[in-house]
Amino acid sequence: MSAAEDANALFARANTDYAAGKFSNAVAGYESLIKAGRWNSSVFYDLGNAYFRENDLGRAILNYERALALDPAQPEAQANLQLARDRARALELNASWAEQHLDLLTRDQYTWLAAIAFWAAVAIGMGLNFSKRRPIVWTFALILLGVIAAGAAAAAYQLENGRSGKDLAIIVRKNITARLATAESAGAVLFLPPGSEIKILSTRGSWDYAALPNDQKGWIPNGSAEKVRL
Amino acid sequence: MNTIGCFLSIRTGEKLRDGRGAMINLRMGQRVSRIVRLTLPVILFAFTLVLARADEPTVTAVLTSSETEVDRPVQLQIKVTGDNNATPPNDITVDGLDIRYTGQSQLVEGRNFRFTYSFVYNYTILPLKAGSFIIPSQNVRTGNGNLHTPALTLNVAPNDNGATRSGRANRPGNGSANPVDEKKILFCELVIPKTSAYVGQPIPAEIRIGLNTRVPHRLIDGATLSGQGFTTQRMQNPEQTLESINGRSYEIVTFKTAITPVKSGKLELTAKDARAVIQVPRRNGARPRSPFDLFGMDDPFNDPFFADPFAGMGEQREVKFSSDTTTVEVKPLPPNAPATFAGAVGNFSLAAEVKPKTAQVGDPLTVTANISGRGNFDRVTAPSLESERGWHTYPPSANFKADDDIGISGTKTFELVLTPNESKKAVPPLIFTYFDPLKESYVTLRSDQLAVVVQGGAAPSATPAIASGSGAPPGPSAQPARPQSQDILYQLTEHGRWDKAFTPVMMTPTFWGAQAVPLLGLLGVFGWKTRQRRLQNRERQRRAAWENETAELQRKLRRGEDPADRYFAEAMRLVQLKTALLASPNGGVEPNTVDAETAVAAFDLPEEKQLQMRELFRRSDELRYSGRPNGNGIVAEQTRRDLLELIESLS
Repeated sequence: MSAAEDANALFARANTDYAAGKFSNAVAGYESLIKAGRWNSSVFYDLGNAYFRENDLGRAILNYERALALDPAQPEAQANLQLARDRARALELNASWAEQHLDLLTRDQYTWLAAIAFWAAVAIGMGLNFSKRRPIVWTFALILLGVIAAGAAAAAYQLENGRSGKDLAIIVRKNITARLATAESAGAVLFLPPGSEIKILSTRGSWDYAALPNDQKGWIPNGSAEKVRL
Repeated sequence: MNTIGCFLSIRTGEKLRDGRGAMINLRMGQRVSRIVRLTLPVILFAFTLVLARADEPTVTAVLTSSETEVDRPVQLQIKVTGDNNATPPNDITVDGLDIRYTGQSQLVEGRNFRFTYSFVYNYTILPLKAGSFIIPSQNVRTGNGNLHTPALTLNVAPNDNGATRSGRANRPGNGSANPVDEKKILFCELVIPKTSAYVGQPIPAEIRIGLNTRVPHRLIDGATLSGQGFTTQRMQNPEQTLESINGRSYEIVTFKTAITPVKSGKLELTAKDARAVIQVPRRNGARPRSPFDLFGMDDPFNDPFFADPFAGMGEQREVKFSSDTTTVEVKPLPPNAPATFAGAVGNFSLAAEVKPKTAQVGDPLTVTANISGRGNFDRVTAPSLESERGWHTYPPSANFKADDDIGISGTKTFELVLTPNESKKAVPPLIFTYFDPLKESYVTLRSDQLAVVVQGGAAPSATPAIASGSGAPPGPSAQPARPQSQDILYQLTEHGRWDKAFTPVMMTPTFWGAQAVPLLGLLGVFGWKTRQRRLQNRERQRRAAWENETAELQRKLRRGEDPADRYFAEAMRLVQLKTALLASPNGGVEPNTVDAETAVAAFDLPEEKQLQMRELFRRSDELRYSGRPNGNGIVAEQTRRDLLELIESLS
């Protein structure tokens, strides 16, 4: 059997376990797929459901987020994520003004748009350079495409580094409190229920420095959160 | 010449006639003077030694002061003159006085060219009690026998406190007791302003450590609070001040903290085990001799602790000291505390505000609550909403800002995040309960309602969305979707490809490979266009060169100054150029390849001009290649006119 056939079989077995109510077995099955590097949005979504049944809301939310990172338009993952967040009372990072208004396209779509507009602008620019006459229409088109390219590139950058960007992580442990310093005795900044969103900014020793949902920053112990992106 | 020898004065040319001196002849006097200059210092030195050696050893004894008071030391100095190897008394014992040898020094005195060498042996006397004391005559062994010091009297008055006895015990035989009253040098006291308190009520406390400024000292450790049944705040850096207590100057080091009883009953506190190093008077021979002290001079610079050249009389000692025990009566909190009481004890006030003032249902609102006052802020928890109905609350954050050194006075700020589940007009009041020790009762603070406008219907419950496209319809092994919003959706049994990645497309090789396509295409177009332009430029330049040459040749032909062979060659060249210019837009025709027939065809000349054209080319070739001269070399006027007419008709 090829690797893909192995993965198909493993996925089907995990689904069977889930349907039979053997959620821990289902979790193990999905996790082994992921450990083997065989994943897609459906695997993460189903794993999220399995964790939800196991009442591990932190990891459920984490895997729903992963499913949406691979397929932002997956409606099942969106719905279950919202339900899990409500149940866990998880906190979410605040979206910036730009992120709130950039949800027309995904990050990758903005990237392709920027590339296409850029090359079109370059082609028009080259044509104008070599032609004897320069109609105003083509000049306007050049400017417009340049603006589109720059805007799309900026949108892709904003989305990549924003709330749902590369540093997004989800709290998976219970009783996690972000602190002012790298010590349990340090002052508390914010209590983080499982499933809360943070952005890991840096790591020092056994502590991670993170941006928190209340627009503050604080330290959490290593392993309290897992990054959405693998 | 008559001369008289003299060794006291030298004068030339004159004779002195008194009995004290005489004149010396210059030549003889110089020799005598040299001899005297050489021998005089030797004679004087020997004379001095004789005078010095002639003195017998003597001994004296003096006190630096014959009047003193209890615990105020004086010095006893025994001076031995005339003997380098005298042995001073080892131990001088007088009841009521602590006498210790502290060192020796040398003294050289000179008078009328008489020099005396003396050794001074120093003793420190610390009076232990008031009274009049006789220090008896002491035996000093010299090379010439024993010498005796005179007896000395020391009067000791009571000290400033009226004490007639020093606080310490008499020194036993081995000399190990501390001759110094440590209580006069340092002390520790615990200051607690309250004798009773409630459980959880913070009480300020001070640990005061006093060190006598007249005694060299160094504080190693401050005291720690010892006792059961309380917690303490972390002590800040201590304050240092100078105070005068009972006429003595003390350096006071103050540690401030606060204690909070955690159980009822009698609370006993002590500030224990403060440590300091002080300098006390030195015992006999107790100071170690320096390895550099080769001559037993007992240099006072030898002291390892204070490096004080004038101290020379003490040794360092580490002492541990504590305060007395203080008792605080701790009362239990009254029963029947309100349900909202969480352990805060003190006196507080509450202020709250909400932001933003308008929102939609489901949007978060932040309520900031400030609890200010004095008490145990570590037990102050966030106030709660009077009613949470219609609100979804999140765990609050807290931040405390103290406005004193010990953290029992300040403001604690809580940020509570709420989301309304329905339209609202105000945030309910916040409730906070504490116990006031002064009023001896529980106090519940209630803030005002916080006006806010929340618009919109009730928040939608988490109804699962209908799957569209990406997921498979629920198979037999998946859970069916429920109409209610309390459960998650079904499993997906279909999946896509297994090679999905989280990597953004801009970081994949595929994306950058795709960019290579338009890049290469545009580079190709650019290169082709550039080459085309270059070619066109070259063609234009060639045409321009031909046109210039054409104009130049026409000028020359009109002038007609050239010899015939050159004239006809220029005329032929001009025709070739004109033919090439005519043909260049459509195809490259080199002028050198143009012959008569080509020119005739290019310009479509009539028959007559064709003959002229051919004649022109023939004559030119003939003159160029045959080498025959043409008369005087100048072309005839008529011939030139015909040629010019032919050429100018070409267009």
